[in-house]
Amino acid sequence: MEPFDVLDAVAVPLAVAKIDTGMIVPARFHRQRRRPGVSDYARAFLHDLRHDAAGTPRPECALNDARYAGARILVAGADFGCGSSRESAAYAVLDYGLRALVASSFGDVFAGNCLQNGILPVVLPEATVQRLLRLLEAQPGARVRVDLPAQQVRLPDGSSHGFDIDPTRKDRLARGLDDVGVTLTHLPQIEAFEQQYLVARPWLRRYPG
Amino acid sequence: MSSSFPTAVDKGPLTLLDKLWSAHRIVGNPGGEDLLWVDLNLVHEGGTFLAFDQLEAEGRSVRTPGRTLAVTDHYLPTRRREEGLAGIDNPEIREVVRLLSENAARHRLPHVDMHDARQGIVHVIAPELGLSHPGLLIVCCDSHTATQGAFGTLALPIGQSNQLRHVLATQTLWMRKPRNFRIRIEGELAPWVGAKDVILHVISRIGIGGAVGHAIEYCGSTVRAMTMEARMTLCNMSVEAGARIGLIAPDQTTFDYLHGRPHAPAAQDWEAACASWRTLPSDPDARFDRELAIDATAIEPMVSWGTSPEDSVPIGEVVPDPARVDDPARRDRMQRALAYTGLSPGQPLAGVPIDRVFIGSCTNARIEDLRVAARVLRGRRVVVPVLVVPGSSGVRRQAQCEGLDRIFLEAGCEWGEAGCSMCGGANGDLVAPGQRCASTTNRNFEGRQGPGAITHILSPALAAASAVRGALCDVRTL
Ligand code: SF4
Repeated sequence: MEPFDVLDAVAVPLAVAKIDTGMIVPARFHRQRRRPGVSDYARAFLHDLRHDAAGTPRPECALNDARYAGARILVAGADFGCGSSRESAAYAVLDYGLRALVASSFGDVFAGNCLQNGILPVVLPEATVQRLLRLLEAQPGARVRVDLPAQQVRLPDGSSHGFDIDPTRKDRLARGLDDVGVTLTHLPQIEAFEQQYLVARPWLRRYPG
Repeated sequence: MSSSFPTAVDKGPLTLLDKLWSAHRIVGNPGGEDLLWVDLNLVHEGGTFLAFDQLEAEGRSVRTPGRTLAVTDHYLPTRRREEGLAGIDNPEIREVVRLLSENAARHRLPHVDMHDARQGIVHVIAPELGLSHPGLLIVCCDSHTATQGAFGTLALPIGQSNQLRHVLATQTLWMRKPRNFRIRIEGELAPWVGAKDVILHVISRIGIGGAVGHAIEYCGSTVRAMTMEARMTLCNMSVEAGARIGLIAPDQTTFDYLHGRPHAPAAQDWEAACASWRTLPSDPDARFDRELAIDATAIEPMVSWGTSPEDSVPIGEVVPDPARVDDPARRDRMQRALAYTGLSPGQPLAGVPIDRVFIGSCTNARIEDLRVAARVLRGRRVVVPVLVVPGSSGVRRQAQCEGLDRIFLEAGCEWGEAGCSMCGGANGDLVAPGQRCASTTNRNFEGRQGPGAITHILSPALAAASAVRGALCDVRTL
């Protein structure tokens, strides 16, 4: 996964609270594969929020507004990514082109899945998020700067706001190390474990067979 | 073994969970998670293609292909199985089934595919093949993996994409150790009362969130007297109480069940294996974070009235009245559930007309379950459509040897090919919108068996009796 350092990019506002993972990827997309360059979850991302029942883009949705084109940051209402633990929700965020999300809270599992995929979920106080949403609505295309090393977000009005992140998660994101990458740093221990485990259990020599 | 973060429970009297955990723990991290080594990874076709896609996109491969077993079960057709993929009309379902074969072949994973003689629901066949040994750590990308905890196996459910991909790539997983919860069940069960009734009773007592963050160990004379099949039914529904792990200490019943099965320890290793397995039960003075005592003699045949397994009562009772419940959140949930299931407070459950019956699933489709259902149906006729789907092809053959299939067919039931079928309807075996189904499965959530479908979960005995009556029925009154 791609390391995260400083992201200075267009931010798009989505002033809706409690967007759950089922809205991020509607259930009918769940049987879809995800292969780079062949098919991805960009289309599925918030599909029903971005389109009406006939599939026509909703003009009132900022995600369809050309002035926010190329946004890499999404600013959303509270509890973004709540609901079921569908991992495809994080894939959809990434495939749509986003690298950072800003909200006052996130679904727990969803936030973990984001970090696995190189996406930074930034938690700011609700009042700050509301202010940021208003700024972005007033100045479509305005840029926001998310600085992971400094743990700071700079709003379009120039104000800076600190955010918290677990030091381990921060380190992994900064190094672009996903969970498998972290685990493989323990490979010698895993191999040593396997050896002693199987030596102590001769009846497992041929397991599973 | 090197580790900078030892867990607190490495010494002193240990529970079964403590022993299983420490036997698989490689290292810990500062966040309190342990890296656990996985003996066997079970993969089914539902949603798991994303893990393989992701692995490939990352340029990674499966670390130990021989320690994963792919099993096709969720999306397989109940009918026209002999036609293979061509017999699956829905192109999306066909593609999901095909993809597991493709991924298994590409990564050299052993695969129990649709026409394999061993085919069946993953949680039914792993025990049947003797893969679920006491002391092992087995993962499966499925909520009901705890079924195999009946063997004293640390059987963990994992996520279908990120976590599965991690296990494939490393043969390990990170997990925080849950707390210990012991449920002691004592006494003899009344006639026609079985493991399904026991677990529904437990869940109705502690609630669907009642065991979140805990591993449940079931013990007591009732559990000791249970067969392995019944113990699996008990452990299967641990997740409906919020526990991802359900455990039962291995004993002679466990060893007798395993002996001679294809993947059980070989004859020359058998004694050593048993000796090791005998050290697994919780030490007599081991400390549990929570305890619950259940009087088995008081348990009645159970049935659900709402949209969560906790919404269950004895079949002789009436639908409970939300107005009598003090907790407003619980009251709202009950009202919403009743609006969905179309029942009224005070209405007797026995006699509620049903539209169909499903006898199957990893909860209740092992040979004993089919024997009980057949005992009720022998010489009787069903008056609503009944689908009987064995948990595995092995169970199906056994049932045919015993003539159970004839009993079902003569009673007017449909006798399907093994798989998950109408439990979740992934293969297209759906309950129609608004239809009411008496089902031996484990979940009665809104839409679980199809959009708008209403599910009453109950035991195979009650399901069979209800099929004869065309209404929810207490088997003891048939
Ligand atoms: S039978 Fe039902 S609960 Fe069991 S694995 Fe299949 S779909 Fe899941």
